[in-house]
Amino acid sequence: MSEATTVSDAAPSQGGRSYPFLLVPISLFFLLLGLAVLRSPSLITSAGIGSAVIVATPLILATYALMAVVIAGRGTVDLSVGPLIGFVNVTLIQLHGAGVLESPLAVFAYAIAVGAAYQLLFALIVIYVRVQPIIVSLSGYLALSGLNLVILPRPGGVAPQWMADWGLGTSIFSPVLLILVLASLGWMLFTQTAFFTHLRLMGSDERAAYTSGVPIFVVRIGAHLISGCFAGLAAIAFTALISSGDPSQGTTYTLIAVTALVLGGASLAGGRGGVFGSFLGAINLYLITFVLATFNFGAVQSFVTNLAYGTILVVSLLLTLIIPFIQRHLRNFSPLLYFVALSVVALSVILHATFDYQSQGQVQPETGADQTVASSQMLTPIDREQIYVAPLEVAAPNQQESAMRAAAAPVILFILLMVVMAVFLRVAFSQSDRRSLAPVVAVVILALVVLGAYMMRHPGSQNAPPVSVEAE
Amino acid sequence: MMLPPTPSLSLSANIIGLVVGIILTVIGVVFGFAQGTSVQFIILSAIATLAAFVWGWRYVLGQFVSQAPQTDEGPSEIRRVWLQFRPALIGLVAILLVFLVLSLAIENFFNIWNVISLLILLSIVVLTRTLGRQFQENRSAFIGVMVLSGLFSIGAMNIEGFASTMNIKSMLLFAAFLGIASVGQTLVALLGGLDLSIPFIIGAANVGLLYLISLGVPPWLAVILVLTIGVALGVINGLLSYRLQGQALIVTLGTGFAISGGVQILTSIGTAYGGNVFGTVPGWLSNLAAMNGVTFGMPFPPVIAIWGLIILILTIGMRYTVYGRYLYALGVNRTSAKRVMISELKYWVTMYAISGFFAALTGSLLLGWSGGGFIGVGDQYLFLTLAAVVVGGTSLLGGQGGYGFTVIGVLVLQVLSSFLIGIGLEFEWQQFIFGLLILPMVALYARSPHIRTQI
Repeated sequence: MSEATTVSDAAPSQGGRSYPFLLVPISLFFLLLGLAVLRSPSLITSAGIGSAVIVATPLILATYALMAVVIAGRGTVDLSVGPLIGFVNVTLIQLHGAGVLESPLAVFAYAIAVGAAYQLLFALIVIYVRVQPIIVSLSGYLALSGLNLVILPRPGGVAPQWMADWGLGTSIFSPVLLILVLASLGWMLFTQTAFFTHLRLMGSDERAAYTSGVPIFVVRIGAHLISGCFAGLAAIAFTALISSGDPSQGTTYTLIAVTALVLGGASLAGGRGGVFGSFLGAINLYLITFVLATFNFGAVQSFVTNLAYGTILVVSLLLTLIIPFIQRHLRNFSPLLYFVALSVVALSVILHATFDYQSQGQVQPETGADQTVASSQMLTPIDREQIYVAPLEVAAPNQQESAMRAAAAPVILFILLMVVMAVFLRVAFSQSDRRSLAPVVAVVILALVVLGAYMMRHPGSQNAPPVSVEAE
Repeated sequence: MMLPPTPSLSLSANIIGLVVGIILTVIGVVFGFAQGTSVQFIILSAIATLAAFVWGWRYVLGQFVSQAPQTDEGPSEIRRVWLQFRPALIGLVAILLVFLVLSLAIENFFNIWNVISLLILLSIVVLTRTLGRQFQENRSAFIGVMVLSGLFSIGAMNIEGFASTMNIKSMLLFAAFLGIASVGQTLVALLGGLDLSIPFIIGAANVGLLYLISLGVPPWLAVILVLTIGVALGVINGLLSYRLQGQALIVTLGTGFAISGGVQILTSIGTAYGGNVFGTVPGWLSNLAAMNGVTFGMPFPPVIAIWGLIILILTIGMRYTVYGRYLYALGVNRTSAKRVMISELKYWVTMYAISGFFAALTGSLLLGWSGGGFIGVGDQYLFLTLAAVVVGGTSLLGGQGGYGFTVIGVLVLQVLSSFLIGIGLEFEWQQFIFGLLILPMVALYARSPHIRTQI
């Protein structure tokens, strides 16, 4: 669509690790995770994570399906991915009801084949009829969502027996999780191939790809086939979630999946997008719904969810605008390191939520398998005033805890000191080959910090901490 | 797009056209009196017939005046015809096959009306591929008009009451709603953007207007307020999506979600009914948009007249004013438009503001039509406005098309849907056929060039 995004991708030269588009999804993920855990600690239980996996997997897989074609460029935002999921769902249920599809193998083969066949048709139309992909997907959206209602006029039917207990989500390790992991691993393996490089090249500049000899038709068909496979898997996960057929529910996945994809930092103009980002985007959407469900707004619940979806979507899109600035100053941003660092924080929040609430007798009742159940029955609505301060609750420590805090204070201060010193040492070393004042300034500040710490901790005392000796 | 060269015809051709037009008009007037319609209606339709015919005569003939017949050497005659009309021939054979299969499969399918319908379909395909080729520009409009007249005549033959005044009035009414809603989408598409917040603003305006009226705000003030808020939301849309033009689709979707959620929260605070607002709609608003509305004594709802006015202003404005030409200039090439000091930001935001205004207007009018506020009233417009723009022939990449095209698209969609209802299809089948038909309609004229020609 626009040239601006692709240009800004390529502008600054950078290391392979640097991928600042993940900055927003990762930050949002941990923010939401912390909120969710504080609001409802039962999220981090076997059942909580299990139900999260069950509910979020169709969305994640739908986002993957969308991602594969969006990377292919030409503004291929496949609006028909939701109806396609619904189509596989309803035909699966009807065929199963007719006694045709029984074994798991047949069901999987059927779902993937239907998804791939539809996307193959899509690709052929885009290539040979040469209509804009968005038109094809719009056409597919209308046609399939109409067809779904014809095949199954109202929700009903039963999923195969072996699939029925998948949707309970009582434990983390369900077959649905296996599907999710395999799909993610499959995409990661796929990114290592030359085919993926061609795909990205085609997505960011189709003409350049064509002139440099990339078989763009084959690549486009391949991208659509992969998307179709993911859509088939998403349909299976969706069927497992609702354990029946639903002609209109699947259609809603289109808008959510597009939102998730954008939240995950992919570019709708093509050429950029990754499995990690898409995964985080989808999980973020799930967490938003979850957090809002815990607030229990009653009759206006779905409106608040809409408002939050829209606002977060727009804000995260606007945040991608400042990424070029971040990129300029943060040459070696590593998403992995950032993720690990924030996970430590999140882990501490989880530990706090899980154990402190229990020790203070405020344990929230165990939430059920489904988050909507959790909102409507289990959690009591909270006061209006409490909404604003609840996530930042103030602890009421007893004697023993105060003593522990006093004992822990030096350790924390020591760690902080170490971090500050490491930063300044790093600056001093990295600047040492230049003829500037920077290393000297760094060393001086370092010395001042150490001196300050020494003065603060031991006013008039003789035994200096071993750190300062090492630093000087 | 440039202004087409004014077609100049010889004097005799002009006179013949005028005479034929007058004869047609007289026939129409005689029929009108014979059927006992009101006088102002007859006068109006007589003027309309004459004007439309004379314009069509001059315009269509003018297209061929400058066309010199080309005789180039090539393969044999049959082969050349095959190469030139390959898609049309394939289409012909496909339609014939479908007809054959249907006649064999369905009892009583093979009757005189269906055969005539088949002939009309075939002639549409032939005409669009042969005659349509002669048009240098506005080809999509020609094809659209062909499809429209074909669909209408098939419907009039096969369905009882399809061509009745009542049905035409209701088709025009719904077309007016869709047409007003698509104004913004067209203008935004001319710049290469998309506005998916239209259905949400329609729903929000619908609910919000009734809410304001039920609060005791005078209705005229409430309408003005709602329209102003619509413009404000459009400006917000434009400002937010300006730097994110490639992702305008998703930005506007996000703001749409937020708007519809926010309005519902506002209107349902303190009530037990989530999302439903109750109140009475003032009479003039109902008259504006209801089926039995009256415009200056004539028996059609004023919203159709309003739509007609909008069409007039927009088509003339976009063609002959500097603002319209600048809009096309921006849509075709941003860089060169910037070189001649056209502010991209100004136009982008203005178009989104207009889009918000017309969405809010549609929402208000729909309130007059239905008499009750409902947030989901705009939902069908999410893809219908897009479909109308695309079927009409406005490129989503910007710079090509215009509101006149969208009007044709709106009419085609409306006639098609009322045709499908007429032959007794359920909503879901309608949607299915809609989806399947958009593709070939677009493929008729909006194909992008092969990549090897773009290098």
